[in-house]
Amino acid sequence: MNEERELAISPIVQTSVQHNTQVVSNIRNLTASLFGVAAGTLGLESYPGFIFYLVGTLIVSLLVFAVRAEGKPSEYFHRPLGDLWGGEVFSGLSSFVLTWTLFYGLVRA
Amino acid sequence: MAFLGGTLNTVGAVFLTHAVYSTSEHTATFPHAPLPLDITLELLFSILILSAGIVLSSPTLKPIQWARWAGRIQREGPHGEGKWTREGEEILSEGDPFGFLGLDGGIAGKGEGRRGFWDVRGKRKEYTEWVKEGGSR
Repeated sequence: MNEERELAISPIVQTSVQHNTQVVSNIRNLTASLFGVAAGTLGLESYPGFIFYLVGTLIVSLLVFAVRAEGKPSEYFHRPLGDLWGGEVFSGLSSFVLTWTLFYGLVRA
Repeated sequence: MAFLGGTLNTVGAVFLTHAVYSTSEHTATFPHAPLPLDITLELLFSILILSAGIVLSSPTLKPIQWARWAGRIQREGPHGEGKWTREGEEILSEGDPFGFLGLDGGIAGKGEGRRGFWDVRGKRKEYTEWVKEGGSR
């Protein structure tokens, strides 16, 4: 009820939310396959590879936070924790694993 | 900003290609030796540069609060964003969705616009000043 009233007082623009989600998802997909290339070339296996991915996404989140959101994520994301810091992390994981295994096979095997 | 992003992307891609090729050659020559430090550093450096370039060349975010979004639209107006259609027409950013009501003409006092909101506070202030003066004019 409280949040509903909050939204009635300061409404949210749906097209902007969609646009921002799209931008973050685009960045995540591109960087996820990039980290896969790096992880495969470094020859990481099992858990270190996933930790590498998580550290990489954290760095990318920091970049988005500093460059695109100008340090004020609540102005651009409805829930900054879920939409910016944790947004689309697991949907990028599949493309990460794809390029990780591909480059591991190409370079190492 | 877009130019800087493109430059970073190009530089990063060159470094990444070089690092991956070096790794491939290294493992082909010494299959069981660990990767040299310089290749590792080059690889990490290149992906850092590339991700910075990707973030910098991404489109800007739009404010989600209606007040800020509408304020920005009203201040900047519909302007080109560097995109053109195939016919050569420039694609403009989104404009004021209530522009067709013609409220601006009325408020600025230039045209025959429709008045959107009556300035209650201003009128009240005028009224209190009128009362303070003694109600005579």
